[in-house]
Amino acid sequence: MLGPFSVLTIAAVVASVLFFPGWATALVVAASVVWLAWTFWLIGRQVRATGYALRTDDLLVVSGIMFRRLVIVPYGRMQLVDVSRGPIDRHFSLATVQLHTAAATTDATVPGLPFGEAQALRDQLAALGEQRSAGI
Amino acid sequence: MTEVQSEVPGPVAWTATTPRRTHPVTPIVKALRIAPGLLIFFFIFGGEGVTQAVGRIGALGVVALLMVVTAAASWLSWTRLTYWFDEDGDLRIQSGILQHNERRIQVSRLQSVDVSQPLLARIFGLAQIRPEVAGSSGRGNNLEYLEVGHAHQFRAELLARAAGLEVGPNEAAPMAPERVLVSVPTGTLLASVVLQPATLVALALFPVLLVAGAVTREFGVIVPAFFVLVTPIVMAGSQFLQWFNFTVAESPDGLRLRFGLTSHRSQTVPPGRVQALRLESPVLWKRWGWARVIVNVAGPAGEDGAERPSIVLPVAPVPVARAVLAHVLPGIDPFDVEVTPVPTRARWRSPLQYGRLAVGASDEVFVARHGWLVPKWDVVPHARTQSVRLTQGAWQRRLRLASVHVDSTPGPVRIEAKQRDETEARQIVEEQALRAMAARAAAAPDKWLRAKVPLSEPLIAPAVEGIEAAVEPGDSL
Repeated sequence: MLGPFSVLTIAAVVASVLFFPGWATALVVAASVVWLAWTFWLIGRQVRATGYALRTDDLLVVSGIMFRRLVIVPYGRMQLVDVSRGPIDRHFSLATVQLHTAAATTDATVPGLPFGEAQALRDQLAALGEQRSAGI
Repeated sequence: MTEVQSEVPGPVAWTATTPRRTHPVTPIVKALRIAPGLLIFFFIFGGEGVTQAVGRIGALGVVALLMVVTAAASWLSWTRLTYWFDEDGDLRIQSGILQHNERRIQVSRLQSVDVSQPLLARIFGLAQIRPEVAGSSGRGNNLEYLEVGHAHQFRAELLARAAGLEVGPNEAAPMAPERVLVSVPTGTLLASVVLQPATLVALALFPVLLVAGAVTREFGVIVPAFFVLVTPIVMAGSQFLQWFNFTVAESPDGLRLRFGLTSHRSQTVPPGRVQALRLESPVLWKRWGWARVIVNVAGPAGEDGAERPSIVLPVAPVPVARAVLAHVLPGIDPFDVEVTPVPTRARWRSPLQYGRLAVGASDEVFVARHGWLVPKWDVVPHARTQSVRLTQGAWQRRLRLASVHVDSTPGPVRIEAKQRDETEARQIVEEQALRAMAARAAAAPDKWLRAKVPLSEPLIAPAVEGIEAAVEPGDSL
């Protein structure tokens, strides 16, 4: 979430310093600062609004503030479990767990889990999925 | 040593079959396949510079050389391409010259079997066969080319094995008899293809364009406009060619779809592989009372939708379309399911569709109705529900509404219960998850003929020893 936007912002600032006159640069820098501050605040809220629950027969994931999402994925429908970590995730020893079913629209992603917990969750999900495996 | 006969039939002991090759003419057909593209390149679009450099004969020579090279390469890969059934009853395809590739296709995961005859192959009396399995890349499963009769025989064998029938090592698999349900008349198909918004607009503007061209002679503008207008007409034409003589037949194999004028295709959708269905009755067709039936069939990941069966019936009168849809779901009439409409305040969020939005659920299926210019009925069996999602945008939250999505495999059908009351939506999500779980527990097994799960109203009683049954004369509904 943070990565691409920050890179873009920094690129915009650098470009403006190089190419634009003084007052435009000041404007771009100010806009970038406001934007970054807002993003940080927003992400903070989004993290508090993200959660998951391992229920008896399915996994429940909630996320989002402006656009709320709730996904229920039955264990028997799981095809793959991904644990991925970008460079920033690795620095803070975090990871993202993503569940795939045969549907492309299933959006069960839990970001920002501590790495150990993410691995444990993946193993648990894989075991539960194997148990309840029900084909397509 | 006495042999103990057990009451319960044990697992079938498959015997491996001998490897078979595709047809020897295949390399030649593959070489001929590239000819039209090359000729167009050298003589019409793009390669004129090269043609001028080496002259016409030179260019033809280059094309011939490329064809010979392709034929040689195809012949090499032909020698390496073999297919057979192994001890577990799964299909194995071995291929590759430098990189040896052996693919194993689990017949229990078979989604559908497609036999198609592209124009060139048809001239030689050959066909290609593509068994489709969920989750694998489609390209590698394409067996090119077999002689047409062999291709159909092989398909029968694949489907028989997928159904759990025992097939001896070198005996012919029983060809499941079929009953034709409906065949689309040519006139209807032509009308349906024309009566699409893009096509109608293009046809209406076409004479205007011609007149404008003749009067103003402003070709810089006319020619690009011509290409823009001609595209929908060409697409309509190719749809007509593709769905020519569309026939839907029912057999113990599943639904058999046959269509095509220049390229003849034959697709089989085994029962229980259909993931979701939709009945569409576009408003342009209302006067004639027509509808179409489209489905989601789980197929190879990442392949373009055109290869996977998705149209079950391109056009038919609404009662016929409903009957075909009911045939796909044996014993269930999705139109009988009671549906509940949306709260009045949903009008603020979906003013056009508001009147039509409704959802309902029975013991077997979840049903959603929506659409404005193209009224749609979506049906998904509970056993085919992948996951359930609840979404709520900011505006929806102000109105205390939410949408429920019932996720199915990739395809044209997306089931969504739009603009429900938010507490009701949460209830729908939980209930659907429960139903999905209960349905999976009772789901028909993969090998559908083996376990004798009765399909309600079986047309032909399938006997395991050999299918011999009266084929009812094809009657259309």
